[in-house]
Formats: sequence, structure tokens, C-alpha cells
Amino acid sequence: MITPHIISRAMLIAFVAFLIAAPWLIPAILNGFWVSVIAEIMIWSLFAASVNLLFGYVGLLSFGQALYFGFGMYGVAIGIATLGLSFWPAFGLGVFAAVAIALLSGIFAVRLTWHYFAIITVVFSLIFYFLAVSVKPLTGGDDGINFTLPPVFSIGDVTGSFSDANFQYFFILATVSLCFFLMHRVIQSPLGKALVAIRDNDVRAALIGLNVYQLRLIAFVMAGFLAGVSGALFAFFGRYASASYMFYHVSGEAVVWAIVGGVGTLFGPIVGTTLFIVIRELVSTHWEHHALIVGVMAILVVILAPKGLVGLWNEGLVRWCARAEATSARTDLQTEP
Amino acid sequence: MDTLLLLALNGLIWGLIIALIALGLSIIFGLLDIINIAHGDFFMVGTVMAWFTLELTGNFWAAFLVVPLIGFILGALIQRIVIQPIRNVAALTIVATFGLSLILQESVRITFGTTPRRILPPIQATFPVFGINYELYRLFAALVAIVALAGFFVFLHRTKLGTWMRAVRHDRETAIAMGVPAQRVYVLTFGIGFALAALGGVVAAPITTVEFRTGVDILPFCFMAVIIGGLGNLPGTAAAAVLLAFLEGIIQSFADPTIARISSLVLMSAVLLVRPQGLFKGLAK
Repeated sequence: MITPHIISRAMLIAFVAFLIAAPWLIPAILNGFWVSVIAEIMIWSLFAASVNLLFGYVGLLSFGQALYFGFGMYGVAIGIATLGLSFWPAFGLGVFAAVAIALLSGIFAVRLTWHYFAIITVVFSLIFYFLAVSVKPLTGGDDGINFTLPPVFSIGDVTGSFSDANFQYFFILATVSLCFFLMHRVIQSPLGKALVAIRDNDVRAALIGLNVYQLRLIAFVMAGFLAGVSGALFAFFGRYASASYMFYHVSGEAVVWAIVGGVGTLFGPIVGTTLFIVIRELVSTHWEHHALIVGVMAILVVILAPKGLVGLWNEGLVRWCARAEATSARTDLQTEP
Repeated sequence: MDTLLLLALNGLIWGLIIALIALGLSIIFGLLDIINIAHGDFFMVGTVMAWFTLELTGNFWAAFLVVPLIGFILGALIQRIVIQPIRNVAALTIVATFGLSLILQESVRITFGTTPRRILPPIQATFPVFGINYELYRLFAALVAIVALAGFFVFLHRTKLGTWMRAVRHDRETAIAMGVPAQRVYVLTFGIGFALAALGGVVAAPITTVEFRTGVDILPFCFMAVIIGGLGNLPGTAAAAVLLAFLEGIIQSFADPTIARISSLVLMSAVLLVRPQGLFKGLAK
């Protein structure tokens, strides 16, 4: 019996197989350029996932995730370019900086909810954006910091470094997959259920004894962690960090990607991010006004598919399976998937 | 001392223009519960339309009439086509206005280009104040802003439409039960919001540069005014806009403009955390 669950599982396996085969498959049918586009999509998907974790599972719409992305980025860039750290300590510094600033700003931000939360997260990110622009000696301002990337590891003669395109791809794939897996586990855990309870009704959640403030703060720091990892990866990927990635437009794009893809689903942010980055890459070489298409698409999707593309797909899948079941005219008792 | 007074005066005038724009943001927020990310771009479209009016007719004054009117029509259309279908889901409206912001910016880039341009003030006269020759147009701009603000408050409190707007904001269900056409009030509100921002754009066009990016710079400032004044508190918003621009003007006289911007952002966070109803809650009744 084909159930939505089986179809989803099969698609997940096909998706993972595609990602693993991509570095060989894509150059064979398109060209090698698209492999690095996929790597970039993975990084930005992780960033969109941090918006999704907060909004989709806790009900807090953050418009300032670029702040943690930027800290991850700058942690790596300053670690390597200024402090002369090697790969892993710089990675650690970036993620630590993002988590620390997420904790610090979260302590204040999660006291507020809804509109006020959205606004204070933008305000925090703007404060640090303006700071990053003005503290030129440390951050390079809008020009940013360029650096050469140290190798990831070297054991004897074997060196792994991002200069090898395949190594870079698989490093990003492994890190992003690990983060998504961790996020999935957290959502399935009692902690995740508590977060969803807060999203659905924070008063009721408080009444059954959940510490709403503390749980929101935990979620906020976890989202900061995801954004920080994606920022650090993006710094490795571009060998570059710049204040412009901390501007609120970057946060806004992640919100659009997550909502268009479908919030509250694990794959929504991936779908949304893929859609918009593929459009950008396809159109921007021919037409410089690709943002026009992004704007129109964002509006069309929210009007026509309010639950996002994944939400639309899931509804369609459930309906299709129900119909297939009805036509097969079986009288067995079926349990809901 | 003279520079200080001059920057304070500049801040005051700029604050009055911001008040106009922020007022539009505030009524859209208060009535439709929408965080309008495209609002800065409404202002930007106003400056660009002012430039086109000047190009086409050779007369800047025409812009004061034509541009707010076009803004009103655009705003009404946007509400009807984009906002109405998703009005009840606030998260979606944020995405939609973000998309709108991209569409407006790109449309301006396509038609107007990317090069910043300047418009000469239609009043060329200057007068001496604080040791320099100050542009008379700036005083005129302040006057227009004050008249528009006063006009808006009169509209809100003395006309039927204004009363409807206040009624829907106060209690939508009851207002509908009493026969207020809420749907039309929403369209009207969005139209007026756009028109106010566009008028702000016309007034500001000869003072600032005309380019597709100005909206992005001005949006945080408008939000600060709305928050510090108190969400939905219209007189508070206007007062906060003037106060903020005035303060930034003073801080700029001894520090970097970025520092000025950071200090007002910090002030805004403090207000959000300590007095989320705004600084003037209880004062305005």
C-alpha cells in the first residue's frame, strides 16, 4: 500500500543519493559551476532553517538572523586573517561568537513576542551592522575581509583543503546534513514537543508547567547556532566576510525562503532556498533585474500556497493517496499515517 | 555652537518629513496589523515620481498634487490585489511586503536607472541664519509637512471616513456590525499610507538624493519613530520622529553619523523592552 509516508521516504533517499552523486553527475550533464551552486544552496538552506526553527516550531518570527550569520562569518575571517588561527579553531571561534551573541541578545529578545520580537531582532542586527560598518580596522567595513584558507587537516602526506572542489562540496554537505539531522532530533525530542506547544498556545504551555521564557531562549540560541554555522561555512566557501551580509535584507531573504518553502517542515527551507537561488543563477546572467522575479514569486506563493510549497505538496500527496486508496476499493481498516 | 544649532534645525525639519512617512506606516500597522517592509520604498517611489514630474512637466509644484494621488491609487491597488487575500496571516503579509519592496526597487532601477540624481530646490532663495545661508526651501518643506500632518489629524477626527478608520481600528467586529464597510476602510488606509509616504518623498526630493536605495535607509528610522512613539499612537509617532531626528542631528555635531544611528537604535531597544507601549503612553489621550 502506497502511503504518503513511503513516498516521502523514497524521495528523501533519492534526494540524498542525488546530493552524494552531484559532484560527478552534474558536470556530466550540465557543468561544474552548478556543483558550487548546490554547495551554496546547502549553506543558505541551513540559514533559512534557523528562521524556520524559530518561526516554524516556536512561533517567533526573527528578522535579524543575519546578525548570527555575520558573527559566524566574522569569527572565521578574523580568526584566520587577524589571529592567524588554523581551520578548526577558526570554525569554533565563528560558531562560538554566533552562539554567544545569540545568547546575549536572546536574553532580551525573547522577553517580547510577535511584532515586537520581529522588530527587536531587526534592531539588534542593525546595531551590529552599523558597528561592523564603522569599525573598519577590525571588520573591513563594507569592503570586508579577504583571507586564504588554511587546510582542514593534514595527516602525513594527505591534506584536505577547500582548494579541492570535491572536498569543499562534501565538507559542506556533511556539516549541513549533520545540522539538519540534529535539528530533526531536537524537534522529535520532548524539547521539540515543548517548543511546538509554546508555538500553538503559549498560555496553555505555561499552565502545564513549561518554562516558556527559558524554552524560547534555548530555541533562540539553537537558531543562532544554525545561523552561525552557515555563516562560518559561507566564509570558508567565499574566503571572505563582509558587513553587507549582516544587513536586514539578508535576514529578510531567509524569512522569504523559509515561508515560501513551508515553515514548520524540515524540508521547507531547502525547497524555498533552492527555488530562489536557482532562479537567481539562471536569470542573473541574462537579466540584471532578477530581484523582480523574486518579489513576484514571493507574493504569488504566499497568496496561492499560504502553507508554502512543501505544505502544498504534502496536502496534494495526502489527497492523492486517499483517492488511490478509494479507487482500489479496499475495505480494510486503514490507520491514519 | 552655530553648527550645533544648524544640525538641530536640519534634524527638526527632517524629523517633520519622517513624521509624515512614519504616520503612514503607523496607520497601516494599527489598522491592518501589517509590518510594512515596503514602506521605505513607498517614500522612494515618491521621490522618483517627483523627479519624473519635473522632467515631464518642467514644474516641480505639480508633483505636490500628482504624486500623492498616484501614491493613493497604487496603495489602494496593492491592498486590493496583494494584501487582501492574506490579510489575516501576519507572517505572510511580511513576506508579501518584502516582495513588494523588491518589485518597487527593481521597477525603479529599470525605469529610472541606478545613478543617484539631485533635484534643485524649486525655491532658490536663501536667508542668513546661524552664520550660513540657509535654504528657504527647507523651511517650506517643514511647513508642508506640518500642514499635511495637521490635515491628516483633522481628517481622522472630523470626517466620516476618518471616524470609520478609527472605529475599525478600535473594534473591527463591532464596526462591521454598525455598518462600517471595513473592506473599503482597509483599501483607503493603505492608499493613504502610501500617499503620505509619497508626499514625504516629494517634499524630501530636493533635500536628499533621488535613487532606488533611499527607501532601505529610511525604513529603520520610520520604524524607530513608530516604536518609540508607541505602536498605533499617531501623535506619539509624529512627536517621536521629530525628537529622534533632532537628537540624531545634535549627536552628529560631535560624532559620526553612524554613532548617531546606533544610539537611536539602542534607545529604541530600551523603549521596546521597558515601555513597549511607547514613550508617550498615558500622555496622549
